[in-house]
Amino acid sequence: MPSCSVIKMLGKTFSILCITSFIAALLSGNMQALGNAVIDGAARAVTLTLSLLGIMCLWCGVMRVLKAANFITKLSKLIAPLLKILFPTAYRTGNGLDEISANISANILGIGNAATPFAIKAMEALERDNPEPGRATDDMITLAVLNTASINLLPTTLLALRRSADSSEPAIILVPVWICSAACTLLAVTLARSLSIRRKSKIKHSTNDALTNRPTGKTGVKGITQ
Amino acid sequence: MEVLSSLAIPSVILLISLMLLFSKHAYFDEFLEGAKDGLRTGVNLLPTLVALMVAVSMLSASGAVDYVAGLLAPLGEAIGVPMELLPLIITRPVSGSGSTAILADLFDKYGPDSFTGLCASVIMGSSETMIYVIAVYFSSVNVKRTRHALPAAFLTMIFCIFFSCLICRLFFA
Repeated sequence: MPSCSVIKMLGKTFSILCITSFIAALLSGNMQALGNAVIDGAARAVTLTLSLLGIMCLWCGVMRVLKAANFITKLSKLIAPLLKILFPTAYRTGNGLDEISANISANILGIGNAATPFAIKAMEALERDNPEPGRATDDMITLAVLNTASINLLPTTLLALRRSADSSEPAIILVPVWICSAACTLLAVTLARSLSIRRKSKIKHSTNDALTNRPTGKTGVKGITQ
Repeated sequence: MEVLSSLAIPSVILLISLMLLFSKHAYFDEFLEGAKDGLRTGVNLLPTLVALMVAVSMLSASGAVDYVAGLLAPLGEAIGVPMELLPLIITRPVSGSGSTAILADLFDKYGPDSFTGLCASVIMGSSETMIYVIAVYFSSVNVKRTRHALPAAFLTMIFCIFFSCLICRLFFA
């Protein structure tokens, strides 16, 4: 279960941070400050949540309206031509295309919690055309990597955090964020596609040499260790 | 550019208001339903945030970050990345709430409009919790061999850090 492994990961992050801090405080004699930090940290989590709660409510409401007005579908139609280049297999079979474009649209609009279910549906649709279950297809990798560098037009939580830290111009970072995330997305897609081309030619090579048509999975990344 | 940035949020609100005014659809009901969802999300976030915020503020008070950042500062200077960002860079790919906690801590320490604060904002805004995304996506279809997904995502993240700092230098210097 994904939620299980994620919680485990969070637990590990928590332990590593705390143990590192304890040792560092022991060495530098900051133990008193460390005790205070525990209490302050817990209190700050509450103030932070409170200051984010308003904008989270507002924005989830706004996004719900955009969703009800079919903005996701409209944007999906706009980006459909792009999918031909990014997802050639899915484009040929037609499986998963709608989910992929809905996922990308939801990301752009900043409806993060809508993007993940779309992506999982898209992965399931792509898996149906997978000649080798258990091994990621090129389209799956493109989709996943695309989502690790997604363009979000309005990162509201970030803006709210900046505002609650007393920034007079919280939105000043928007244009740099757009440029940077566009560049990252471009790179992510290029990497996802070009690494797969390199691998394909390798496989072709090995079959030409009549060695074996076993996929060269060993050099790739092993499955995610839970 | 600044006009564009400051226009972004108000124009979305304007769009919603116009939709409420001119459409027959019960959009305000939708809005209220969505806002309730937001409330639930926010409240559910609190327990995780308490744990991570405690961990982050301990780390910050222990002096460990300052020590490592001090050691790496010359390297950071050479590659143009403020080393105060180190905790954010490490946490960002793993945990969304963890990096939120660290970002809040960085804003507290250096201010949201300092160079460090601006770089941190751009990194936060243009990257995702990549390990989480890859774990959830591939485990949903039981794919164990993720091939070049992780290297591609990892390289993108590194590029994102450099490019964020570069773009902040160009925009805000």
